Amino acid sequence: MEFVDDLLTFEELGKHLKYQGCHVANLSSLDFTAKNGVGGCLRSLLRQFLMSSLDPADISILASWYREENCNNPVVVIIDDIERCCGSVLSDFILMLSEWVIKIPVILIMGVATTLDAPRNILPSNALRCLCPFEFTLGTPAERMDAVVEAVLVKPCSGFIIGHKVAVFMRNYFVSQDGTLTSFIRALKIACTQHFYTEPLSVILLEFASEEDNLVFEIERHGLSPEVIWKHVFEFPSCQRVKLNKLTSESLAHAFSELKRLQNQWRAVVLCLYVTGKGEKVRLLDLFCEAIDPESYNQGEFDTNMKAEKDPVLSSSQIKGHVICKAVRLVRDLSTAQLGKLLKMWENLTVGIPEINGKVKELLSLLNVEDGKSSKKDLTVTPRRHTSRIQLNIEKDSKSLSDKAANLIECMVRDYMHPTECIPFHEIFCFKDVDKLQLALIGDPRRGIQVDLLEFQKLLCCRCCTSSSNALLPSMHDTSIMYKLAQEHGDLINLHDWYQSFKSIVLCPNSKRKPRQSPLPKKRKGIKEAESQSEASIQARFCRAVTELQITGLLRMPSKRRPDFAQRVAFGL
Amino acid sequence: MDFNAAEEEEFGFSRNYFLAKETGSSGKKSARKLSDINVVDEQELREASANIEPKHQNDVADLINSYKSLYPKWVFDLRCGFGLLMYGFGSKKSLIEDFASTALAEHSIVVINGYLQSINIKQVIIALAEILWEQLKLNRKVSSRGLPKVQQPFSSRSMDDLLAFLDGPEMDEKDSFICVVVNNIDGPGLRDTETQQYLARLASCSYIRVVASIDHVNAPLLWDKKMVHAQFNWYWYHVPTFAPYKVEGLFLPLILAHGSSKQSAKTALIVLQSLTPNAQSVFRILAEYQLSHPDDEGMAIDDLYSISRERFLVSSQDCLYIPLTKEGLEKLLSEMS
Repeated sequence: MEFVDDLLTFEELGKHLKYQGCHVANLSSLDFTAKNGVGGCLRSLLRQFLMSSLDPADISILASWYREENCNNPVVVIIDDIERCCGSVLSDFILMLSEWVIKIPVILIMGVATTLDAPRNILPSNALRCLCPFEFTLGTPAERMDAVVEAVLVKPCSGFIIGHKVAVFMRNYFVSQDGTLTSFIRALKIACTQHFYTEPLSVILLEFASEEDNLVFEIERHGLSPEVIWKHVFEFPSCQRVKLNKLTSESLAHAFSELKRLQNQWRAVVLCLYVTGKGEKVRLLDLFCEAIDPESYNQGEFDTNMKAEKDPVLSSSQIKGHVICKAVRLVRDLSTAQLGKLLKMWENLTVGIPEINGKVKELLSLLNVEDGKSSKKDLTVTPRRHTSRIQLNIEKDSKSLSDKAANLIECMVRDYMHPTECIPFHEIFCFKDVDKLQLALIGDPRRGIQVDLLEFQKLLCCRCCTSSSNALLPSMHDTSIMYKLAQEHGDLINLHDWYQSFKSIVLCPNSKRKPRQSPLPKKRKGIKEAESQSEASIQARFCRAVTELQITGLLRMPSKRRPDFAQRVAFGL
Repeated sequence: MDFNAAEEEEFGFSRNYFLAKETGSSGKKSARKLSDINVVDEQELREASANIEPKHQNDVADLINSYKSLYPKWVFDLRCGFGLLMYGFGSKKSLIEDFASTALAEHSIVVINGYLQSINIKQVIIALAEILWEQLKLNRKVSSRGLPKVQQPFSSRSMDDLLAFLDGPEMDEKDSFICVVVNNIDGPGLRDTETQQYLARLASCSYIRVVASIDHVNAPLLWDKKMVHAQFNWYWYHVPTFAPYKVEGLFLPLILAHGSSKQSAKTALIVLQSLTPNAQSVFRILAEYQLSHPDDEGMAIDDLYSISRERFLVSSQDCLYIPLTKEGLEKLLSEMS
């Protein structure tokens, strides 16, 4: 249960209700604090409904507004995190609404209760009595994820698609790190901005998704000259693989049309697999990640995987394409009735693909014939000794139908589920730069700042600091020198020793030799001044480097308990 | 980086931590003291600090210039509704401000310097509301919002009202957003929870876009998931500059500066210089009293008020309390008494 996903749900619900004509106000726990009392939430309501904030906030103003609006439209107040609200303020609010219910009837939508008795724990009985509750259950994060993946990535949406590595990264980030649907959607948005910014031909995505046939015309309409388009397209790795010789408008149009056709086929097969495995908790996101893997497709791994599935030694997680194999296996275990329902769904999903649709219809008709035979046999009176044999035959027939269905879906996966990355020109529609996405989504300043200090030569590209032996050079950035020296210490760094190490690095070997004593006092004084200035400069540089490490948070300054030691906070790469 | 590589890296971090702890505890701790270093006079140290010759000036300038090619992409990201978060070693103040002044020249910009010790976030939001008000008047959107032409001044409105105004419903493509540049959003002036909450709510306003920088490795700990994904909507950019932290380090003490008393005097001087002339005079009265009565524990507040009033420095006792309770001066007062 992630409250940030719930916030998104309530926001979308509010928009939907407004679209339906309701007056909607969204409140949060910040409006129900003990500090502001009931006045706080009333002020927020007035601000949202009346577009003004009046002090003191009074419910009679709201009631007047409702009367003037001559409303038949309901007033809805959504409170999206009641468990963080101050219970007494929320209770007062409900009691007040209850007193004014005739003049301003309000529908309260409250969420999210994380336990069954959450309302009872938050509200006293007199407030609970005023409510006429209806309970709604939100979908699980996995169910909501499946809905998003189906709507945005599988079914035709914007034309934009993500590559296999990007999908796997996003799936892992959701499962193992963040866990929110909001971050998944945000990652998709970031991927979109990166793709639309870097790929000039992505302008045609919308037309592609809207079944526009004359895509070449659309490209030219956006001001891109054919010569520029050909040059750009020829550089696509997918086009170089197929060794396109000459590109004309016709061949480009044909290629787009072929890409669309293959995508439709891929989509149909994935949805067929999904409806097959839905009841057994096959997650669409996992299925999607396997279905778009170009390596598995190119190496013909599917057949290998089906055989590997039967290997008792290999664990299921070691087998690539495990989820697809699981979905296929499920078909074999279906009863006749279940198989019939499934085949009906497949028939609907493959309407645009006659090659598959025909075979599905064939199976359906076989199923109907078998159904007819078995019901006829039920009606006929048969001697008892034949009954069990007939039963066996019925089971054998339905088993063979299941096997045929399983073979059909295997064939669909093998022959019709072409991952987009295997199709020429997919670069126009497909975003694949997972490293860029990861950097933009997550950052990682803890690692990034340390890398900057330890490997600064890669960024500054200076020749003076290149050392084949990784030795510290005096030309290096002072803070980098200091941070590298810090790695040699434990978690506590003795400041005196650190300073001496720094000093020995920054002073060139020649300067370590003391200049010869001059007989003239003036010159001796001048040399001493120079040495003192040099010492002041080194100490100043040391101080500044320590300050910079303190600003980055890599170092904790000395405390009263440890006045001569600084403490390391980060411990290198 | 794929998932297994990320796991390996996390393991590497943990291993380095335990190795460092082991090294620290097992080896003989150095007995050398900081005071064993023959530190030069503090004045000389500060002068040397101000005159440090930066290294790799040309390379640093080239690196910062190379980021200019990203400016159009940053503008695109802002238009898509993202907040930009710059991180990497080195001061990013000049980079961000150059971006704002060149690529966002047609937008209004407000700069918050998070490296300052204290920042009044309400004043910032009032300023933003006033800018937006002027902008909407220019675009003649006031009447469509149903707002009265004469209205309550922004300075007297609550934070919720101000943020609701900044989150107006009419933001569309033709409208110009207001860019809030936050140098060191993880700085000492902005680090508290309440300020970060206000900044997050500000970032989620429809008329506002945020471009911020961080320097601290643990900066992400300031934000929960709602703030990161739904409010700030951060788009991270790694832009190390290696530019020196001149202004950012101004308020931090030098590690080799001798003795706390000199440091306190320096800090006190900086704080006193930020006061009004009348407030400085109030402190002069206090200091003169302390110098002439070294054995006393302090000056009675009534006496201080009488003398201040005689010299027309304050008009009421409340006015006297304002400079006395200013942040940072409480410690100064306790040291002086």
